[in-house]
Amino acid sequence: MNNNRLDQLKQDYMNTPIPRELDFVVRKALQQNRKKDYFKKARVAAASVAAALALVTVGVNSSPVFAQALAEVPVVGSMVKVLTFRQFTVNEDNFEADIKVPEIQGLENKDLEGSLNKKYLAENKKLYEEFMADMEDLKEKGGGHLGVSSGYEVVTDNDTIFAVERYEFTVAGSSDTKIKYDTIDKKRQVLITLPSLFKDESYVEVISDNIISQMKEQIKSDESKVYWLEGYVEEFEQPFERISKDQSFYINADGKLVISFDKYEVGPGCMGVVEFVIPTEAIADILVSNEYIK
Amino acid sequence: MLEKQFADHIIKNKERYYRLAYSYVKNVDDALDIVQESIYKAMSSLDSLRNPAYFRTWFYRIVVHTALDFLRQRNKTVLVEEEVLINSNSGTCDTYQDIDLKRALDSLPAKYRTIIILRYFEDLKIDDVAEILDENVNTIKTRLYTALRKLRIEMVDNNEIGRICHE
Repeated sequence: MNNNRLDQLKQDYMNTPIPRELDFVVRKALQQNRKKDYFKKARVAAASVAAALALVTVGVNSSPVFAQALAEVPVVGSMVKVLTFRQFTVNEDNFEADIKVPEIQGLENKDLEGSLNKKYLAENKKLYEEFMADMEDLKEKGGGHLGVSSGYEVVTDNDTIFAVERYEFTVAGSSDTKIKYDTIDKKRQVLITLPSLFKDESYVEVISDNIISQMKEQIKSDESKVYWLEGYVEEFEQPFERISKDQSFYINADGKLVISFDKYEVGPGCMGVVEFVIPTEAIADILVSNEYIK
Repeated sequence: MLEKQFADHIIKNKERYYRLAYSYVKNVDDALDIVQESIYKAMSSLDSLRNPAYFRTWFYRIVVHTALDFLRQRNKTVLVEEEVLINSNSGTCDTYQDIDLKRALDSLPAKYRTIIILRYFEDLKIDDVAEILDENVNTIKTRLYTALRKLRIEMVDNNEIGRICHE
């Protein structure tokens, strides 16, 4: 075989003109497939909006902003951290969803870690599915606007406590915000529940009374504050009387108990999500110990 | 992670894959379509591929299959046209030896041409070529020799035709 000829042929072959669009076509194909790929991995039911979906699994390394946010959290003791496990996004004309599923890492108690992460995924999957159903519904009816975003934030991270906040923010005409917390005892590797902090169930009464008096004070000192309290609400409305046994709460960095209410739960929408820091003196008598709450 | 590696590999080697696709269809738009379609196929079965070291052979294989499917659908019009071109051109007495040589390659049936391309132009091992083309190594070797022989014969023929200024 004449190598010269083969070289010539190779030269010709290598000189095949490369169109300028190649790069674009390749990148676009790779991107679109990420969207398709999402379905394969996430197996979320709503298959009808394939075109609008993307899945991004974000690690600390791939998100400089998030990595920075993590770096700013003072990490003492065990390396418990929370990352975005998955992100679901929908971006169509009037429909937007940005759902971030958190994942806790670094807990020694893997059962706890697993069950929390499972819960986070389930919550967000539900949120996503509801969004998709609502969107389909609205589209059938000729359109509308719908937005949902969810995410998380580490509210407390010190020697004993690791508390994660998860928020769900939905917009459909009016908006709604829901916030939930998980407070973890890093030393014992257990999830702290509200009842577990107290000797008995009297905490419901004690905390509620404290909150009501805080509400009244706020209303007195600030005209813009409105809470649904007895004497302040219309007759047909249900005033706020007491917290639920498993009311949303977390323990802040100062070791104070913080009780949180979703939007509309104790006041009109303009009040948004409200939080009350419960003075430790008010609950000192009924606390099991001062280990968490100081 | 695999997805990212795959994307990087494709972006880096896109021109190789494009050239191979082009060698089948001989036009820009179709070659781009084949590259695009191949990426779709690859991504949807990426899970089955564990080792990034096999990206190259694996993706070549997908490109080859996609191109062949494409040609089947197109009823091989392109190849016929090529042959017509060769026949109508071979008689001119000129110095376009490179082009004749290239046409000699182009006029080879795809199963021979691809072996030449992968083995000599893309410098793949015979084993890898066999893998890509779904054939056993011996078949590939035999075809490679046949292809080389055909090329040489055609080249010789063309030269002779050239020399005698055959109309």
